[in-house]
Amino acid sequence: MPDQARKSKPASPGPGGGGGDGPSAPKVDKPNVEELLKRMKKVDPDQARRYRQRTGE
Amino acid sequence: MQPILLFGLETELGIARDGAPNLDTVAESIALVRSATEPGVLMKWDYGCEDPHLDARGFRVAALRQDADEAHYFARDAQRRLTHAEIKSDLVLRNGARFYNDHAHPEYCTPECSTLDELAAHDRAGERIATACARALSEARGATVRLYKNNTDFRGHSYGCHENYLLPRSLPWEDLVRGIQAFLVTRQIYAGAGKFALETEDRFLASGFQISQRADFFSELQSVDTMQRRPIVNTRDEPHANPARWRRFHVILGDANMSPFATRLKVGATALVLEALLREPRQPWPELADPLDALRTISRDPRFRWEIKLHGRRPATALDVQRHYLAAVQARCDLTAPDRARVVADWEAVLADLATDPHRCCDRLDWVAKHALLREFQAAEKLPDDHPWLTSLDLEYHRLDAAAGLYFDLERGGAMRPGPPETEVQRALAEPPRSTRAWVRGRCIQKFGPEVLLAQWDHVTLRGRRGPVPVSLLDVFGPAEIQQLSQRLADAQTPEDLRTRK
Repeated sequence: MPDQARKSKPASPGPGGGGGDGPSAPKVDKPNVEELLKRMKKVDPDQARRYRQRTGE
Repeated sequence: MQPILLFGLETELGIARDGAPNLDTVAESIALVRSATEPGVLMKWDYGCEDPHLDARGFRVAALRQDADEAHYFARDAQRRLTHAEIKSDLVLRNGARFYNDHAHPEYCTPECSTLDELAAHDRAGERIATACARALSEARGATVRLYKNNTDFRGHSYGCHENYLLPRSLPWEDLVRGIQAFLVTRQIYAGAGKFALETEDRFLASGFQISQRADFFSELQSVDTMQRRPIVNTRDEPHANPARWRRFHVILGDANMSPFATRLKVGATALVLEALLREPRQPWPELADPLDALRTISRDPRFRWEIKLHGRRPATALDVQRHYLAAVQARCDLTAPDRARVVADWEAVLADLATDPHRCCDRLDWVAKHALLREFQAAEKLPDDHPWLTSLDLEYHRLDAAAGLYFDLERGGAMRPGPPETEVQRALAEPPRSTRAWVRGRCIQKFGPEVLLAQWDHVTLRGRRGPVPVSLLDVFGPAEIQQLSQRLADAQTPEDLRTRK
């Protein structure tokens, strides 16, 4: 397994993380998550509401 | 002799444009495909030999469930003043791939591949080609055109990422279905792309997370349909090869994967299970008590325990079923080739990690990576489970723009296993896989592009001095046949040199 894959992982489900006892907290460094969360804040919360497609195959 | 197994992917993409809430997705999809600058042959696809009504169970259906909708769309499309060929805008590319507008979605079909390295590279090449088209169209429109490699609009409209596997026809259809069904239903535990919504056909039901994008849209065990009341096993009998010798197993159940690891595992494990089936079709494969119920139960299980019932109401889990198939593959298939050994090692490791803690797979599997990332965001922003932002971020995970999509952020940051090497992607953009008949198709396009009259998966017809020159690919699957035809093509100065002497 490439070491690179172990360096940075998305962090754990938080306290608001929905029901169940799903994937638990990773015990790894997460150097890029803060930056990624900032980028995620820029995603329009309503973009999925406007997203309309025609049925495909 | 090893059974010959080829595979390929057909991926329909979602399309949207900023500032255009009532976008005509058909017109946009056509314009997107028409924005391609990759060398290829436009509007020469041979629809004359296609018949999606043929059923592998040995009959021809009078109508597909989608025929009424298709007629309605055809009537609407007729008002566009475009020909059928212009609406489809089929582009056969120099790498042997097909890129076109299918039912309002840009669709990229990889060329036929025989290794997973080829497939991963060609899948990513398709992403690159579609993204380049989106950039060009954005400039032309003066607004950003967005593409999504996902399978839902979260309102009950789904579009597919189909897999194709070439098999000898000697495997009886009934044995194939009996053997593969439980595998297809349970492989979502590693092949699912994850979804923050619960839907049914044409309807959003509720918020919530599930591991599969497509599981909500399947309501039949077997049928020839692909757009309504979709089946777990699609019976379309369109081999795109000599029908006396071959069948194409057309899998419509799967999600579109952003993670190349997930794509490799999904296709690699399926190909090996098919090979194990070919070697011993009558062995006792797992049988689910209620496959359709199991499909949804596994996808929606919030505890990721994936408990199901086997035939006879025996309790089991999706992991148990996958372990059974893995053991069958290990017992029956030759796994000495590195490609195959890697699939089995990855499959075994993923099942072990899923059993211990699914989060261990967050560097490989789409649903785990998405779930972890969005739950982190949810916690940071203190969002309730039904907040629409989660669905919007789900969509953003699948955005097909290496500079903007969330998946690509994860891959770039090292949070996901690396994709195919750039040299392989560049090769896949320019060249077909050498080991399959796609090589011949692609080289025909490269060498005699302006002379191509018709193109299909199983033939290319060129313009010769003495009339059309058909180049049949119906039975071109073995290395000797591919090499022979490739050499004739390399030696040909004109299409006429390829005419088969009688």
